[in-house]
Amino acid sequence: MAKTIMIVDDSASLRQVVGISLRSAGYDVIEGCDGVDALKKLTGQKVHLIISDVNMPNMDGISLVKAVKELPAYRFTPIVMLTTESQEGKKKEGQAAGAKAWMLKPFNPPQLLSVVQKLVLA
Amino acid sequence: MAEMPVMPITKNISPTGSVLRRLGGWQSTAIGLAGGLTTGFMAGWGLGAALAATGLTLAGAWVDRRRSREQAVALGATAAFVAGTDQVGRDVLPLWSAHIEQSRAQMEDAVAALSQRFGGIVERLDQALKASVQGGDQGLNGVFERSRGELHSVLESLRAAMASNGTMHAEVQSLGRFVDELQQMAAEVANIAAQTNLLAINAAIEAAHAGDNGRGFAVLAQEVRKLSAMSGETGKRMADKVGVIGAAIVAARLSAESSAQREAASAVASEAAINGVLDQFHGVTQALEASADMLKRESVGIQSEIVESLVQLQFQDRVSQRMTHVRNNIERLPALLADSREHFESAGALKVVDVAALLRELESSYAMADERSTHGRGAAASTAAAPASEEVTFF
Repeated sequence: MAKTIMIVDDSASLRQVVGISLRSAGYDVIEGCDGVDALKKLTGQKVHLIISDVNMPNMDGISLVKAVKELPAYRFTPIVMLTTESQEGKKKEGQAAGAKAWMLKPFNPPQLLSVVQKLVLA
Repeated sequence: MAEMPVMPITKNISPTGSVLRRLGGWQSTAIGLAGGLTTGFMAGWGLGAALAATGLTLAGAWVDRRRSREQAVALGATAAFVAGTDQVGRDVLPLWSAHIEQSRAQMEDAVAALSQRFGGIVERLDQALKASVQGGDQGLNGVFERSRGELHSVLESLRAAMASNGTMHAEVQSLGRFVDELQQMAAEVANIAAQTNLLAINAAIEAAHAGDNGRGFAVLAQEVRKLSAMSGETGKRMADKVGVIGAAIVAARLSAESSAQREAASAVASEAAINGVLDQFHGVTQALEASADMLKRESVGIQSEIVESLVQLQFQDRVSQRMTHVRNNIERLPALLADSREHFESAGALKVVDVAALLRELESSYAMADERSTHGRGAAASTAAAPASEEVTFF
């Protein structure tokens, strides 16, 4: 059965690009346009990995990571930050919140798939 | 934003000048009066001195009046400038901001639609490739091999039928031998009948020689002659029948031979035609398979190209962020300019916009390294699209 990955980003085109890369590798994909939307869509959904942007309206990526880690069903779900943020301070915030990896945009699809394969829950 | 120092309209005024300013717009008059008094004092308060004093005072008053008019004009111009700047903040900057946001939104929508179309193409190519792989068992090569097998089975059936006809022909051939034997037997029967008749005739002659003693023998001889005649007739009929049967068998044999020859020719022609068709079919299937392989390779290549194009479209996200940062900073200005105008109207002094604070605010909104680079240089960094980042940090 295909693994499910959630993509969270306020840019529709970027969600498209990431989705195409993941679907071509056989993953199922669900999308959220910001942290609030992502938390709504997580409810009752089995997700093996979350890929999230940092700078988003309503709820940013770091806050989303913290919120997800509070949910018992998703405490161990790995989260990858895919962002333009290059500052060390933000990166440390992500690490402290519980993210598993920090990846800069623009991303390379083979490299993204490699990261996903490494982290996706069995 | 921190309170900026208030700057008076006239800057860099000396302490003497400050004193003189406190006298309002009468400083030149005061100077003239002081000059006149000094002249009068020095000249002993004569008529000339008095006239000089009056002249100096009037000159001072004229200068004051002129300066007042100039200051009023300058104040009016400054007020107009401040009001104009405020109007730029109210009327122009919101338009700039709106255009930037609209451009950003249009670009995002267009790129999202383009990405969706590309995504659809990639998915359709993927499905086509999967279908072509799944059709392997039903592929052209498999169809050709099965067709060849079935057609060769048909040829084998033809050959088996021909072999069966050959057997029948051989059987008919053997019947001919039986006919020969039957004809021989019929001839023997006729011969026996003829011999028997001769014997009967001899017996009759002997019986006649024997007189009355040979009468019985003569009757016997007569009966034997009858029997031999009957045998002769039977033999003749047998010979006739055998002749008819023989002719029929010969005709059948000839017909079978002719049929076998036609069948053999037909089988050869069928085999040649079938093999010819199979060869052509094989050629066509090979060409189609080669074409299908090339299409598969091209489809995979096109998929890769589209995915690479989609990677390039990531520029939109970066540009959108940068435009948002600039727009947010522009939207700070109208309030600052309005504040400057209000301050000028209330205090009569210009309040300079805190540029450093605006720049700090803009810089704090940056997420990308090239934004910081452009900020530091004060000019655009490389305009080339940022390459795909290789940086991944695992925690």
